[in-house]
Amino acid sequence: MVVVLIILSVLMFLIYNLVPSNRAYTDAKADMVNMKQQLRGKSDAEKEQVFQERYLYYQRLYGTDTKNLAVRYLRWVGLYPNYFGKYNGLLEGNFGYSYELKDDVVNIVGEPMKNTIFINIFNVILALGITIPLGIFCAVRKGSKFDQATQVVTIIGYSLPTFITCILFIWIFCSLLHWFPPSGMGTPGNNFTGWKWFWDRMYYMCLPLITMTFCSMGGMTRYVRASMIDALSMDCIRTARAKGVKEKTVIYSHAWRNALIPIVTLVVGWFLGIFGGSLIFENMFGINGMGKLMIQSLRTADTDVIILLQLFYVALSLLSNLIIDIVYGLVDPRVRVNA
Amino acid sequence: MKKNKGFFGTIGGWFKRLFHGGSKVLADEMEENAKNMKVEEIVSPFKQIVRGFFERRLAVIALCVVIAMFLLVFIGPLFMPKYYDSYTEVTQQNVHPTMSMLSVPREMENDVRMIDSFGSFTVGVNNEGQVFIWGDSKISTTGLDVRDIPEEVLNAKIMYVAAGIDHVVAISEEGKVYCWGYNKLGQFGYFDPENKDNANILPEPDILLNGTIDVDHVKKVTCGYQCSAILMDDGTLYLWGNKNTYQNIDLFAGKDDLIDIDFTLNYVVGVTEAGNGVYTGKRGLYDQFRSNLNVKAVPARQYLDGRKIVAISATSNTVCGELDDGSLFFTGDFGTRAKPMPALNEGERVIQIVSGTYHYTALTDQGRVLSWGGDTLDQTQVPKDMTGVTRIYGGAFQSYAVNDNNEVVGKWGLKGYLFGTDNRGADIFQRIIQGGKMTMTIGAIAVIISTIIGIIVGCISGYFGGKVDLILMRVTEIFAAIPFLPFALILSAILAQSDISEDNKIFILMVILGVLTWTGLARMVRGQVLQARENEYVTAAKAMGVKEGAIAFKHILPNIVSIIFVTLTLDFATCMLTESSLSYLGFGVTYPRPTWGNMLNGANNATIITNFWWEWLFTSLFLAITCICINIVGDTLRDVMDPKSDRDK
Repeated sequence: MVVVLIILSVLMFLIYNLVPSNRAYTDAKADMVNMKQQLRGKSDAEKEQVFQERYLYYQRLYGTDTKNLAVRYLRWVGLYPNYFGKYNGLLEGNFGYSYELKDDVVNIVGEPMKNTIFINIFNVILALGITIPLGIFCAVRKGSKFDQATQVVTIIGYSLPTFITCILFIWIFCSLLHWFPPSGMGTPGNNFTGWKWFWDRMYYMCLPLITMTFCSMGGMTRYVRASMIDALSMDCIRTARAKGVKEKTVIYSHAWRNALIPIVTLVVGWFLGIFGGSLIFENMFGINGMGKLMIQSLRTADTDVIILLQLFYVALSLLSNLIIDIVYGLVDPRVRVNA
Repeated sequence: MKKNKGFFGTIGGWFKRLFHGGSKVLADEMEENAKNMKVEEIVSPFKQIVRGFFERRLAVIALCVVIAMFLLVFIGPLFMPKYYDSYTEVTQQNVHPTMSMLSVPREMENDVRMIDSFGSFTVGVNNEGQVFIWGDSKISTTGLDVRDIPEEVLNAKIMYVAAGIDHVVAISEEGKVYCWGYNKLGQFGYFDPENKDNANILPEPDILLNGTIDVDHVKKVTCGYQCSAILMDDGTLYLWGNKNTYQNIDLFAGKDDLIDIDFTLNYVVGVTEAGNGVYTGKRGLYDQFRSNLNVKAVPARQYLDGRKIVAISATSNTVCGELDDGSLFFTGDFGTRAKPMPALNEGERVIQIVSGTYHYTALTDQGRVLSWGGDTLDQTQVPKDMTGVTRIYGGAFQSYAVNDNNEVVGKWGLKGYLFGTDNRGADIFQRIIQGGKMTMTIGAIAVIISTIIGIIVGCISGYFGGKVDLILMRVTEIFAAIPFLPFALILSAILAQSDISEDNKIFILMVILGVLTWTGLARMVRGQVLQARENEYVTAAKAMGVKEGAIAFKHILPNIVSIIFVTLTLDFATCMLTESSLSYLGFGVTYPRPTWGNMLNGANNATIITNFWWEWLFTSLFLAITCICINIVGDTLRDVMDPKSDRDK
């Protein structure tokens, strides 16, 4: 796990290095502009010398004064001191600086993260609340008209690219029905507080929520249905039925528990996805979340933000893998997770 | 015994075995026995799969659709020789899906007085003075439809009509000038307090608004992008419209010595009584004349050599003029795609010439109709069987030939757009087909790359087990842990900044997609191999001393081809979707090259989604249907191959 994270961070770092940006150079240039007063009357050579000094200083400060990638990597992580003998890397809490937004990356990520979590919690609750009963119902009534219809709808749901679903839903709910505002996070220029703020936010979040739920429904319903069908064809179910256990008990107690094992893993993955946000949804609906931040910084080549977000995503997916393994062990006593 | 089969032989062998089970001879024998003994029929797995597949109607339909899509996008482009990626057309932006651009209404088909067009709609008038409009007459976001002809126009007897990009001008028998359409940019105007002092607008002359003109002395009525001009016999010029679209319009206002006037896309052009050049009010414009499109140009004065210009007509960036000796000259930038003017017969003279956006159509005194110039939208495909043509009309991308009885005897040019046009004026249908080719190629190549990696890693890892397995699975884990979309985004963002050619970028994109998607397949193959490894035939092969590698790839792999095939199908859809998402976000393939993803790029706000529904709907439909059908096929295949699901039935 940790090894994987380290390898990935190396990978990230290498990619990060591919991006043509030179922070020391930009800062040195900025300093030159600031020092215009002091530099007045000096010759070009002298100016050049001052610039080189500043440049070297910043290179040393940011730890880019060497061509050795390994050293630079270690400095970035914070395991190797820079020229001034200070440790200043990820491990020390230095996540970089956003040039677009003129602030430390840590401060920037806060607000989008809140928004993303806010909307995703509702999404997960809604989606699970719909898909699990639906999946069970379809599995029990396998082959019925309703099941077949659901199958078709879900296959459409998960084959449709999310952005097309977004466009469709905006068209239906905003253009044709005028139910919801197409994008944004709240009525512009409002200063609502308390409940009013919450309801306003919810009103704007409605359409994204509906769309997100619809998109996640397809795959999940099919998954629940498949695992429920598997569970229903187990011998213990036949035994239970033979014993004369009520059908309801058979389904909800015997079969459901067995079906839960694969489902749990998926749900855990989802809960971690709460933090990640969705690139497409957030862009489409103008939600100021993690995904939007990512695209924004990609567009403006704001490397520090990108790399941090990327690491965040990686860590998130690794973490979810780990939790899934552990949960798997908890739910299914037969599985042993060896350290 | 041992035969040296080539690569294809091996692949063929796999499929053969799929057909007939493990051993062809054995299967044949058993089948033979079954026939003789009349016991239960034995079906090979492949036959069973095929049979099971074709029993499901939905899956068969889906398969047909997928195949049809493939054929469409790979063969379709062959029928579009005139298509090119960066095509733009300012006068054809956001045109609704319509095929009615050439459909002259029945009421005036046999009674044509005049036809004119500039943008996406055409206006015509018959000898009874009724005005008709056909083509795409809805004006983009304004909600206006020029087909809603004002009541007073319907009641009046109209003699002249002219069409601009979004407005229509008509002159009645009494000399009253009517205008309708979109007028917020000064296309025509009342003395609106808002617009009166607007520096960007040349207001419609008062006499046209409140008075009448002598209709018998109208020489020419013509409209430009958002401007209009009426030229009288005595040289009086009424000119009004949006100054932003025509920079030199001010120089024409108040001129009274013109004998002809027309609009290109950016300039008003005219001929003065002196007839010694194309008057634009600016130096260096249209002053190099040539006798045909493919002939070298010479300075105007040298070319004219004392001759006088008597009439001109203009396309969007070129001007054609008639000299007093009956010959023609051309000036302006024609580009390389334009067709030169066909040669005239001995003693033949052009008696009428009309211009469209890129083409000219001319009628000669021998009754021949010629079309030349830009042919991207078939404007110059003159029908062969026209007789008795005495007049021609045209504009935009259409031409009409009319005979002595005022009947339309021939019409040619752009019929319309099946799926409308996008915000650059390109035909969406063509772009869908071209874009589909790109999308599917990227999907296919990415999936091939991912499959190859997946199979190799999975086979090796599953077969050898132990340390190899451990290492390979860790590698797989690393790749699986990479969050897909963000990572692909970063890589393509970096790619976009580097200066590699577009083709290489697309190829690298395919590789990125392939390299990021193989993990699932590798894991599955590994699992399958682990199972298959325990089978007797592997033990037998081992006992016979077959090499390890040969066992993994020759004995075990063929047995899991079916499951690979399913994954391949499903992955193909995924890769297509990923490419589309990337391009949609602007990080994959970029304009001008079309893909289904970046064609939807513009549809990211409610205004466009509502008003220009055709710009996203058809592309989305194609993408969605293709993906859904591929998924259905893959799902069904999996169901059919899974022996368990059969039992459940």
